[in-house]
Amino acid sequence: MDVRVGSEAKGDCTVEVRRGRAGGIEVETKNAELLGDGLRAVATETIAALEAEDLAIRVADSGALDYVVAARIEAAVREARPETEPIAPAVERRASPRDRPRRSRLYAPGNSPRLLAGIDIHGADCVLFDLEDSVPPTEKASARILVKHLLASVPFKDEVWVRINPLDGGGRDDLAEVLRGRPNGVCLPKAESAEDVRRLVEELSDLEATLGIGHGATWVMPIVETARGVLHSEEIASASDRVVMVAFGAEDFTRDIGALRSDRSLHFARSRIVAASAAAEVQASDTVYADLENDVGLAEESALARELGFDGKGAINPRQLDSIHRAFSPTKEELAYARRVVEAAEEAEAIGSGAVALDGKMIDRPVLERARRLIAYGEQLAEGEVAK
Amino acid sequence: MKNAAGREIPGRIGDRRLAPFEGAFATSRGGAKAGRPQKSAKRCEDKLLPSIDVAIDACELSDGMTISFHHSFRDGDRVVNQVLDVCARKGIGDLRLFPTAIFPVHEPLIGHIESGVVSQIEGSMNGPVGAFVSRGGALAQPAVLRSHGARWRAVEAGDVEIDVAFIAAPQADSYGNANGVHGTTPCGTISFCAVDAQYARKTVILTNDLAPYPVYPMEIEQGWADYVVEVEEIGDPGSIVSGTLQLTRSPTRLRIARLTADAVVASPYFADGFSFQGGAGGISLAVTKYLGDEMERAGIVGSFGMGGGTKLLVDLLHRGLIRAILDGQAFDLDAIESLRDDEAHVLIDPGFYANADSRGCATYKLDVAFLGATEVDLDFNVNVNTHSDGLLLHGIGGHQDVASGAAMTMITVPTLRGRIPVIVDRVTTVTTPGEVIDVVATERGLAVNPRREDLVERFRAAGLPVRPLEEIKAEAQRMVRSVGRPVFGDEIIAVIEWRDGTVIDVVRKVEGWT
Repeated sequence: MDVRVGSEAKGDCTVEVRRGRAGGIEVETKNAELLGDGLRAVATETIAALEAEDLAIRVADSGALDYVVAARIEAAVREARPETEPIAPAVERRASPRDRPRRSRLYAPGNSPRLLAGIDIHGADCVLFDLEDSVPPTEKASARILVKHLLASVPFKDEVWVRINPLDGGGRDDLAEVLRGRPNGVCLPKAESAEDVRRLVEELSDLEATLGIGHGATWVMPIVETARGVLHSEEIASASDRVVMVAFGAEDFTRDIGALRSDRSLHFARSRIVAASAAAEVQASDTVYADLENDVGLAEESALARELGFDGKGAINPRQLDSIHRAFSPTKEELAYARRVVEAAEEAEAIGSGAVALDGKMIDRPVLERARRLIAYGEQLAEGEVAK
Repeated sequence: MKNAAGREIPGRIGDRRLAPFEGAFATSRGGAKAGRPQKSAKRCEDKLLPSIDVAIDACELSDGMTISFHHSFRDGDRVVNQVLDVCARKGIGDLRLFPTAIFPVHEPLIGHIESGVVSQIEGSMNGPVGAFVSRGGALAQPAVLRSHGARWRAVEAGDVEIDVAFIAAPQADSYGNANGVHGTTPCGTISFCAVDAQYARKTVILTNDLAPYPVYPMEIEQGWADYVVEVEEIGDPGSIVSGTLQLTRSPTRLRIARLTADAVVASPYFADGFSFQGGAGGISLAVTKYLGDEMERAGIVGSFGMGGGTKLLVDLLHRGLIRAILDGQAFDLDAIESLRDDEAHVLIDPGFYANADSRGCATYKLDVAFLGATEVDLDFNVNVNTHSDGLLLHGIGGHQDVASGAAMTMITVPTLRGRIPVIVDRVTTVTTPGEVIDVVATERGLAVNPRREDLVERFRAAGLPVRPLEEIKAEAQRMVRSVGRPVFGDEIIAVIEWRDGTVIDVVRKVEGWT
C-alpha cells in the first residue's frame, strides 16, 4: 500500500511513497516557477541522506519551510521502509543554566507546521513542543520527526523542551527521535513517583551516550497532574539532579479528584507542589490558563500563582506571554528594595556589625538571601530581554 | 535612463514622453488646471434617461474614447461589466478604461481586451486582469498605475482627459445629486470619482435607488452631472463591504502588530493630538486596536484617525480617543453607519486626501502610518504592485501618498509568505521609494531606516528589538532554499507613476522564470 504523511494545511506538505514505481522525485506546488527548484533541492538532499533514491516519492507543497519538507519525507520513507536509519542532523545547542528564569512555558503542538512556524519569535522563556495530548495517535510518528527537524534547523534563543508521551505509551520512541535535535529538556507528563522520573533519567542517560551528547545535558520537567502525583510531589521534585522545574497540570488533576476547577479546588495541589519544589531547590510552574479571550482572568490567575510561590506558568498561545511575564518578573520597586537590603548588609559588614537593619526593621539571613536571588534573577532577565 | 530610484526608464513609450522620478518631493508644477466646457442648465431640464444604451448615445461615446469608473463596490461591482457589455454590443471599440481600480469580478474585461473593445487601461489592476496583462496580454498601450492622489492630480492637470464618467451611486436624485451612504446597497463613499464628475466631457450617474430631490449628502453634485440612469443592479451587497472585518488570529501577525504599536508608543509622536492612518488588513486592524488601548492607558486624545474606515476606528471615535475620522473609503458596515450618523466622521475625497499638486493634503497632517507590502528591499524600497513572480497583481491604492505624508511610515510585513521571502535584496518593482519609509516591522524585529537614528535610540530605550534589515532577511531565508526569479522581456506592460506624474518604475512582460 502507498504511504502518505503530512497534510494540505498551510505551511505543510504531503509526501507520498508510491510502491511499484521507478525511483524519483515529483514536486507539486502552486507556484512551481518560483518554488519548484528549491523544493526539489531539499527533497533530493533528504532522500540521499535516507538512501532512498530507489523510491518513487511525490511532494505536494502548501508553503512548507525546508525543515517541514525534510521531516515529511523522512517520516514517509521510514514508514515505507522501517529499517531506515533516522537522520541525525548537526545541532549546536547552547547549554542552559539550571536556575535561569522560566516564567513561561509556551506549548506548541508538535504536528502542526502552521502553528510551529515562527514559534521562536515570541520571547517565551521555554518553548515546549508537545507530542502528547495535542497529537492524535496516527500522527505521533511523523510529529516526533517534525519536532526533531524543527529543533535542528531553527536558531532558538529560548530554552526548548519536548513533552513526550508516557514512557510505555510511545515516550521511548519520542525520546530516541527528538534527542537527536538536542532539546534543553524533556517534560514528563503524568509523573506520579520518583520511580517515573528515574526511569526517564535512565533512558536519557543511555540515549545521551549512544548519540554522543554530554551526560546530563538534558533537563527534566515532571508534570504533576494526578492525585498520586500531587501526593508524591516531594519525591518527584527530588528524584534526580536533572529536574529543574516541576509543572502543575490542573485539567487532568481536577478530573482525577472529581473536583470543579476553581482557585479553591486547586489550592492544596498548588501549594503542595510549590513547597515540594522549594524543598528540592527546583522551580515550580503553574498550570495553563485555558480561556484565551479572558485577559483579566489570566492576569489574576498569574498573580495568584506568583503569590503562592510559583516561578512561572504555562501558556497555550503566544498572546498570553506578556501577561505571564509581567506577573512573574520582579517589579522595579521589588528590585529597588532588594538592592537597599543588600547595600545595608554590606554596610553592616564593613563596620563589623553582625546585625543588619533597614528602615528600622531587622534584616535576617533569609531575607538577605532572597534579596540577592531577586537581584541576580532581575539581571538574568534583563540580559535575556536584550538578547531577544 | 536611470531614475532617482535606480530604475531603468525609457525616455518615451509610443507617443508619450516619460519624465523620470527625481525624488519624493523633487518636482512641482505651476501650470493651470485643465477643465471641461461650461454648460448652462435650463429650468425643468430632465436628465433622466431610460438605459445605459441611450446614455451612451446621448454622450456620443465612440471609438478611441476614455471612460472612467470608481471602485467603491470593490469585488461586488456590477457597473463596469454592464457598461462594457453595452459598448461591445454597440460596436464601440478601442476604448481607454480609466477606473480607480479593477477587481477579480472584472475578469470578463479580458474578453473585451481580446476583442478590441478595450485597448488601454489606466488604473490599478487587482487579480486576473493584471496577470493577463503581465503575460503580454494584448493592450495597445502599457497600463498606467497611479496612487489615489496621483489619479486626481492627473485629471486636474489634464494628463488624462475623460470623455464619459460612469458613476455608480447607491442613491441619487434625477437631477444628479448622489452619495454612497444611503440606498439599499450603500458602499460608503463615491467621492473617488468626484474629480471625474467635474472634469469629464460628460458625466452619467447610474443608480439603483432613485430618490426624490434633493438627495444628500451631495458627494456628486447636480452641477457636475449630465445624465442619470436608473439600473436594476449596481453592486452585490455581499461583496461590497464586509460585515465586520476580522482581526488576525495568526500569532506571527499579532506579534508584528504588537511590535508596531509598541514602536508607535515609543516614538516622539505619541502625544495629545496624535494622528494615524490605519487600514483594513489584519495586521493594521490589530495595530489600531492596540493603539486605542495604549491611548486610553496613557490618557491621550488623538486629533484624527484616517480611514479606510472600519469598526475599530469608529470604536476609537466613540470612546473619545480620537476627535475625528477623515475617511476616504468605508471598509465595513459599521463605518458606513458612522459616516451617516457621526458628525466627526468626515467623508473626504482623494483630492483632499492626497493630491500632491494642491494647496494641502490630509496625508501631510499624519504622524504615523502602517502599511503593507508584497516586498521590501534592503534600501527600504517597497513593492505593492507585483509579486515575486513578476506578475502585476495589485494597485497602488494610497500607499505612495500616505508613505510620503506621514512623519513616521511603518511597513508591517511577515518575513515569509509560505516559502516566499518578503525582505529581498532588490524589489521586483519600486512602488514607493525607501526615502519615505522609516521603519519595517516584522515578527523578527524592527528595522529602522538609517536616516532615522533618532527613532533607533527611542526604540532601544523602550527595550524594542531593533535589528539591521539584512540580519532579519538572513534569518528568514535560512528557513527556505533559494527561490526562483522572473525573467523579464523588453516589452513594457505597465508604467508606475509617482505622485507627481513622473515615472518611478515600469513593469515588463514576464517571459519565464529561472
